[in-house]
Amino acid sequence: MIEAGIEPAPPDWPKAGDEIRVQNFGPFGREALARYALVSGDDNPLHLDPEAARAAGFAGPPVHGMLMLSCFESLIVRWRRDLFIARLSGKFLRPVLAGEGMRVSGRVMRRLDVPRPELTVRLIGRAQNNDLAILGEATVLYNIPGSPS
Amino acid sequence: MKAADDPRAAAFVPEASAEVLIRLPPIRVRTGASEVAAFLRETADARTCGVVPVTFPARWLALPALRGVILQLIGGDGLLPVHEGQSFAYEHELRIETDYIIAVEARRTAKPPRLTLKIAVSTGQGESCAHLETVLRIVPLNLEPAS
Repeated sequence: MIEAGIEPAPPDWPKAGDEIRVQNFGPFGREALARYALVSGDDNPLHLDPEAARAAGFAGPPVHGMLMLSCFESLIVRWRRDLFIARLSGKFLRPVLAGEGMRVSGRVMRRLDVPRPELTVRLIGRAQNNDLAILGEATVLYNIPGSPS
Repeated sequence: MKAADDPRAAAFVPEASAEVLIRLPPIRVRTGASEVAAFLRETADARTCGVVPVTFPARWLALPALRGVILQLIGGDGLLPVHEGQSFAYEHELRIETDYIIAVEARRTAKPPRLTLKIAVSTGQGESCAHLETVLRIVPLNLEPAS
């Protein structure tokens, strides 16, 4: 049972159509991918070895999908600190290659006030060439400051 | 030839229409403070401590007990997984320095060549905390030197 957000929404609670300002993440150099592999345990050679990446059909090592998804989490956390991310999902559509960055943005698609303040946010991550790299969605709940979630 | 059409990607599953489903025994995991801090550092998270990031449970996919099964289901040399989709759903935030139990279900299909991992995270007392789903496309490697 989700415990977050059992009080009314704050006065500045976002509404449908509100945008989350674009933020840039990266560039994700090969050293950054190696460090992420270390802390996440995802040492798939696809992300670390240019030869393996090429053999799999990529022009270079792609950034870990989970690292790309974590940019959505960072975007939301930087946007507002009073949220509990109850759901986060992403579809990986195009690779972001090592050495490139990603532009991430969001838009509130739906706002619910009852039974608890809740937002559905559409999330978009674009590669350096503006290709849509990752399409995501988050459900966030009002996390009353100081309360457990 | 596209990866999805390449018979090598389906090789592990004996019949094209078949699928392999494995449920692993429960695995104990922990949200160690140093591991969480290192994870936060490398994911450009605005927070530096005190929280377990939403994507942190992905780390558990690399546990030896799970990794071997994943590699076996992928099918061996000449094939690599490519992340196609990922979801996390939380009922409760995970807490730092806490033990959890994960239940893992792995499903390998031949057509399309995919490995889907579903993980349920619960406390030691059986309280459900989170669910995650990882969808991996299995891609055959072209190991011939480029001409």
